[in-house]
Amino acid sequence: MATAILDLDVERLPEAIEGLDRYATALALLRLQGTPCGQLRRPVVDGRVDVAQLRDEVIAAFGWSLARRRLQRQLGWEAPPSAAAGGLPSVTVAVCTRDRPLALAHCLEALERLPDDGQELLVIDNCPSRPDSRHVVARHPRVRYVVEPRLGLDCARNRALQEARHDVVAFADDDTAPDPGWLRGLRPNFADPLVMCVTGLTMPLELETDAQEWFERYSPFGRGFERLVLDSSNVGPAHANRAGAGANMAIRRTALTAVGPFDEALDAGTPTRSGGDTDYFMRLLAAGYRIVYDPAALSWHRHRQTWADLRSAQYGYGVGVYAAWTRNLIVEGELGVLKAALGWLRYVQLPTLLRSLLRRSGRTPLDLLLAELRGCAMGPVAYLRTRASLHGRASSAV
Amino acid sequence: MTAAPAPRTASPSRATTTPDLSVVIPTHNRAASVRRTLEALAQQTYPAAHWEVVVVADGCADETVAMLHATASALPVRLRVHEQDGQGAGAARNAGAALASGATLVFLDDDMQPAPGFVAAHAAIHAGRPEQVALGPSWPVLPGRLDFFRIMLRAWWLDFFGALAQPGYRHTFRSLAAGNCSLPAAVFARLGGFDPAIRSSGGEDWEFGVRLIKADVPFAFAAKAQAQHHDETHLRRSLQRRRQEGQAEVVIGRRYPDLCPGLDLARIDTPPSRLDRRLRQLAFAAPATGDALARLSLALLDELERRRLRRPWRVLYGHLRDYWYWRGVADEVGSRAALAALLQGPAPADAGREIDVDLGAGLEAAEQRLDRERPAGVRLHVAGQPVGHLPAEPGAEPLRGVHLRSALATTLADRFLRVLAVQAATGASLSASWQPILSGASPSAGRQPVRSA
Repeated sequence: MATAILDLDVERLPEAIEGLDRYATALALLRLQGTPCGQLRRPVVDGRVDVAQLRDEVIAAFGWSLARRRLQRQLGWEAPPSAAAGGLPSVTVAVCTRDRPLALAHCLEALERLPDDGQELLVIDNCPSRPDSRHVVARHPRVRYVVEPRLGLDCARNRALQEARHDVVAFADDDTAPDPGWLRGLRPNFADPLVMCVTGLTMPLELETDAQEWFERYSPFGRGFERLVLDSSNVGPAHANRAGAGANMAIRRTALTAVGPFDEALDAGTPTRSGGDTDYFMRLLAAGYRIVYDPAALSWHRHRQTWADLRSAQYGYGVGVYAAWTRNLIVEGELGVLKAALGWLRYVQLPTLLRSLLRRSGRTPLDLLLAELRGCAMGPVAYLRTRASLHGRASSAV
Repeated sequence: MTAAPAPRTASPSRATTTPDLSVVIPTHNRAASVRRTLEALAQQTYPAAHWEVVVVADGCADETVAMLHATASALPVRLRVHEQDGQGAGAARNAGAALASGATLVFLDDDMQPAPGFVAAHAAIHAGRPEQVALGPSWPVLPGRLDFFRIMLRAWWLDFFGALAQPGYRHTFRSLAAGNCSLPAAVFARLGGFDPAIRSSGGEDWEFGVRLIKADVPFAFAAKAQAQHHDETHLRRSLQRRRQEGQAEVVIGRRYPDLCPGLDLARIDTPPSRLDRRLRQLAFAAPATGDALARLSLALLDELERRRLRRPWRVLYGHLRDYWYWRGVADEVGSRAALAALLQGPAPADAGREIDVDLGAGLEAAEQRLDRERPAGVRLHVAGQPVGHLPAEPGAEPLRGVHLRSALATTLADRFLRVLAVQAATGASLSASWQPILSGASPSAGRQPVRSA
């Protein structure tokens, strides 16, 4: 059965939550004063969530951190990010899309609901085979439309970084719906001049199918409800995916001169399937910059609905991680990659596989795991081949 | 030392009205760098009639002096150049201050590139205000692909100024980075300026910082007095500096025994690891062996960097830094016995006054009391129940109200909340300002909570 998604303010819990007849459980995002502070799963009985129990759970699980936040608010001490050299940068929001006009339409509607802080809205249509996306954008006069003819998400990202008129580019995937407070959550983190990238919390927009449930359970985008500041002193670059994911990330444009553009041999639209974001995080960390994960920058993601799509995404995830690691090993000479790969295999993948084979309760579906492992095995080959063919194309073009 | 050439002072250009602010720049054999500093000073927004520049060429053997005389005409403000034999940065700043005619002194290092509003910001922060020292942020500019050391250096500088910028930051003598700071000339004269006897890098500004803190001159962060800092420090030089810091801390500890507990010196018997203990022994007893090991380790550091192995690199660098600090201490103090004698010297007569403050009456009342009394430390209570202690810290400024706020919001938050909860439960009367923290989640209907249905 499906899971209902709730969005609750802990200081204004509703008196009743009902009408959820289609659902067996509810996943509640909890906010304090608009800022996400936690999540809870509660059973749905006869279409209702027991609010009294919910309140008890909220107090038990979050009472302390809520009290701390209230204290800080009373003291006027909302954890100030480190001092700025100048003011906060202005932002261009970029949506990279390819032939998904329906998803894009939803995403743009969400973006139009953001309060106007002077942000620019930009759609990069990546190698479109139909004019549908152009028609969708035409309904939004504020949105600038740019076609990037070279296929590949990283080509589109690089184009967005070039086209943007502002200093920071906030990327939203076309299957996400950024929360109205999204940009206001991302932006203050750029006060620290060493912060080149900020990622946010991505919650599931819906959990209607088994595939969506498993995605959220097995490889969620969210990285928790505490703000994290990552740099090479506290996380090895090989573990850069702790920073979050490209579905909800903002990049300072000076990153282009600091570490160069996204690697166009990586990510969607190429045989490497994903990993462009992870690779970029690795390079930023290796060059001594900081990445902030801030749950205040909330976005909602529609996970793949069918099992076949989920399995394919899981395969693509495995390919992408290993492709990005391959790049960082051979191009950047990061030996730490080997240790990270062994650690993942030994402490995560093999134990999960074992539980799955032994049919332990709560096991991960075997086909997902195998798809991921197959992807990992393909990653290095996929990267090296794509890279070689890109180089070939570049040199034959000269 | 060679015989000193007679000091020569030249005022090649534009004597106008008496300036009210003087920028003093000490420099040593860095003609290109100081030229960049002067070019940035030529772009200032502050009216040229109101300020001047004094450059002290301290033992310059390069083309610095010729460059200065050639540049003077391009500067919209009066430039005075003073030459002396090499006496160190402290002595050079003192010589510059003696020549300066402004009521406000701005000290600027020769590797700084001040922003156009730099002089105006330093001038504004002193105008019509009580005596204070203003500290400007110097943002590191390190070109090219950075090695591990310079990545660390850049983050260190940014975090240093980031901390100073926090409203509740409690300054210590280490806040005084003399490369970008300003103060009334009268305060500088009254305190006798920098101690020219401290030649080692970093030592002379810390020592001056101690005297400023002891004279109760407040430190203020001047956020707009920005400069870019073209820091050329590299790994090997940073280790030399660490040795000089060891020397400087001994000088400071000797002069101000009450500060000893807060210096790294005091941790001689608590090394972070067994290896550090051995290295400290070498620094005192067998420096030739220690130095040889340190040289070998440098080669190993380079190798770790080539393989991009950050963690082992950081660990090894930490050991080296520790070794060279104690090597500097040993240079200055001589033996471990002498260090022990220094540390066990006469107990500080005045560890600082501590007061008791009850928070039950609200934050504002407590803050006002701290601002009024400026104690060295404070014990906090709510209706007699202890909340926490902001202790007297050697070398730190007396407490202000804003220090209380930052401590309650961070380090003391958990304890404070517990005490508040207990007090509320037992019916103690609390200030209305604490009530909203304790009131629980209150239900209210109306909002549709379901996103997808």
